[in-house]
Amino acid sequence: MPNLGKYTLIITEKPDAAQRIASALDLKGKAKEMGDNGVPYYVAKRDREIVVVPALGHLYTVAGERGGRDYYPVFGFSWVPLYVAERRAKRIRTWLRTITKLARDADMFIDACDYDIEGSIIGYWILRYACGNKERSSRRMKYSTLTKEELEKSYAELLPHLDFALIQAGRTRHEVDWLYGINLSRALTIAARDWSGKYATLSTGRVQGPVLKFLAEREKSIRSFVPTPYWEIKAQLEINNQVFEAAYENETIETKKEADSILTACVGKDGQVERINIKQFQQSPPLPFDLGALQGEAYNLFGYTPKRTSNIAQRLYLDALISYPRTSSQKLPPAINYEAILENLNKVEGYKKLTAELLAKPELKPNEGKKDDPAHPAIYPTGNLPERVLDVSERNIWDLVVRRFMAVFGEPSIRQSMKVCINVNEHRFYLRGRRTIVEGWLRFYEPYVRSQEVLLPSIKEGQLISVKKVMLEDKFTTPPPRYNPSSLLRKMEETEIGTKATRADIVQTLYDRKYVRDERMVVTDLGFEVLEILKNYCPKVVSIRLTKELEGRMNRIHEGSERREDVLVDAVEILKPVLEELRGKEKIVGEKLSDAIRRASLEERTIGTCPICKIGKLVTLYSRKTGKRFVGCTGYFNGLCRASYPLPQRGMVRPVGRNCRGCGWPTVQVRTKGRRPWILCFNPECPLKEERRERIEMRNMRQGSR
Amino acid sequence: MKCEICGREAGEDNYCKLHARAYESVTRKYGRWEKALGISWKEYLREIAKNPLTGEWAREVAEHLITMERA
Repeated sequence: MPNLGKYTLIITEKPDAAQRIASALDLKGKAKEMGDNGVPYYVAKRDREIVVVPALGHLYTVAGERGGRDYYPVFGFSWVPLYVAERRAKRIRTWLRTITKLARDADMFIDACDYDIEGSIIGYWILRYACGNKERSSRRMKYSTLTKEELEKSYAELLPHLDFALIQAGRTRHEVDWLYGINLSRALTIAARDWSGKYATLSTGRVQGPVLKFLAEREKSIRSFVPTPYWEIKAQLEINNQVFEAAYENETIETKKEADSILTACVGKDGQVERINIKQFQQSPPLPFDLGALQGEAYNLFGYTPKRTSNIAQRLYLDALISYPRTSSQKLPPAINYEAILENLNKVEGYKKLTAELLAKPELKPNEGKKDDPAHPAIYPTGNLPERVLDVSERNIWDLVVRRFMAVFGEPSIRQSMKVCINVNEHRFYLRGRRTIVEGWLRFYEPYVRSQEVLLPSIKEGQLISVKKVMLEDKFTTPPPRYNPSSLLRKMEETEIGTKATRADIVQTLYDRKYVRDERMVVTDLGFEVLEILKNYCPKVVSIRLTKELEGRMNRIHEGSERREDVLVDAVEILKPVLEELRGKEKIVGEKLSDAIRRASLEERTIGTCPICKIGKLVTLYSRKTGKRFVGCTGYFNGLCRASYPLPQRGMVRPVGRNCRGCGWPTVQVRTKGRRPWILCFNPECPLKEERRERIEMRNMRQGSR
Repeated sequence: MKCEICGREAGEDNYCKLHARAYESVTRKYGRWEKALGISWKEYLREIAKNPLTGEWAREVAEHLITMERA
């Protein structure tokens, strides 16, 4: 322990933040790194000695008062050190011991965890339990970036106390979620285990249930979908030696008869320009990023899942490159100092011209959205430049945040749309063009702009147009799109369930529990069954209205118009009858779940229909004799088919759901460490394999003859 | 009673909740197909059974109805 006399103890949420804060507060900018049993802490010298010690995220959690996992309902709980509740968290014991030791010689305490619900709870429990009831005398640092300037300012202007209302709200959220999660998940898991004798973790929760309901509703619409035929007519036009495609006035034609008659009337006829409509419209600059918008954009542009984006953004925040990412604000207050940020970014070659252009403007005014967050502004670059080499994904997200930041200060872009109406034997076709007249903010957001330019040649009204071809296309209506992690997150935001800090984790849990699979989220049999059980026996638990109502009450605790105790009592009152109902139906629930688990496991291993017997399914199997895996037909078990093929023994094998383009057999994707995933067709006589063999032989022969 | 297609618990129409929903969708859409192409119920079922955009449960219902009609 440091021999310093009395000092100020600052608690941070993560080690990186501790180091940044200590360095920022040290007068020489070089805080001394120390350690105790592998727990790092930092000593800074300022007006007095400052010790900065980090947490590792949550060090305390809610746990049942009675041990064991084999029973429910569980309504008695308390907050305990993480290592008490989770076997894997042994390290936390040492960590807390070090914090307690450091607290002994401290005479002033500052909570410098992130200023949001989670950060507030992390700091609160450490100050209360590990530091010995210092939560009432502790002061609070509030900052949105880990830059030296902001940290110094935050230290100089400490808040006099913790935000107790926010802590109460967060604490209640954790406790209510724990009550729902532990009781319902145990009810499901115990029912399935007692029926089948096999253990499988099943879970649901206050938010997880309603989210699964969104997915299942969409899945049902997709799986029950029957397409409807319709027709589209297009005309190929030749204007100034260029070919353009014009669409028929009615975008869809509902009967084949009508489509045929239009086609007959137009074939072989030329057209005449009847009307030209030109419209100009403004496209406002985009809004600054809140976490959801950043996650959505990163998914669309780079294919990153919301969880991945959130993790990358957190790393960039800890490197002081961007502001605090878990924000729901779409506002950028002038206090962040736009000019200083742009001047710093001006040092980067790729941003030089653009930042200079913005800095030359008489006034910098961001285009802001309606959403606000009392704790943090929207996500913005701090202006600091990377001190280490960023990996590709970090660079992508940083660049995206920088370009979005610049774009919000840009002028609106002006675009022009042109609609040319062409009369072909009294049938109208429309030729549409779109072009940018004034680029405005678009150039700041390159290459992330998604605006299409369709340029049309100069055309005059009355001009004759040569029709090269008239085409009739058979079309079908398509099912509603599947949710992907990004669109599901947006849906959760729209319906106001979950928090920005937890939504991405909930989506991940649905995958982990095997309730959904694939990037375009497909609900599995297990997902359906869990939801059906919840809907039948405890509809309140999956009610979106109730979940939203509860969210509202928890927000009101923060505002001071609701009491934590009342919310908890009501949550228990909702749960009691639900759990009794589940207990009463334990056998039938267990049977249904076990059956669904078995089907889900088979579904996961099923590769496709057997190309030999065309009846059985090809599944991944393991040899009892050698333990090796292979592909075999389910018909083998009743002696109908003996099809079996070897599989690579290393890596993960996953059905692709697509057939081989060479032979039409089902294929699998093989993922091995250090190699790009590859698609394997296990048909030994696949023509593509033969072609490949020949190619390799030819190459070898050529090399041999040189 | 078990669903004639998947073996799940069935209602009065011999389909489970999921296939009942798909059956409703199959019968409801026939009017649109008849108007669009002037085809019979049997032809309609064959068409939707082979259409890749038809949902899994709707296809199973169509195939089941085809088999029933044959029987």
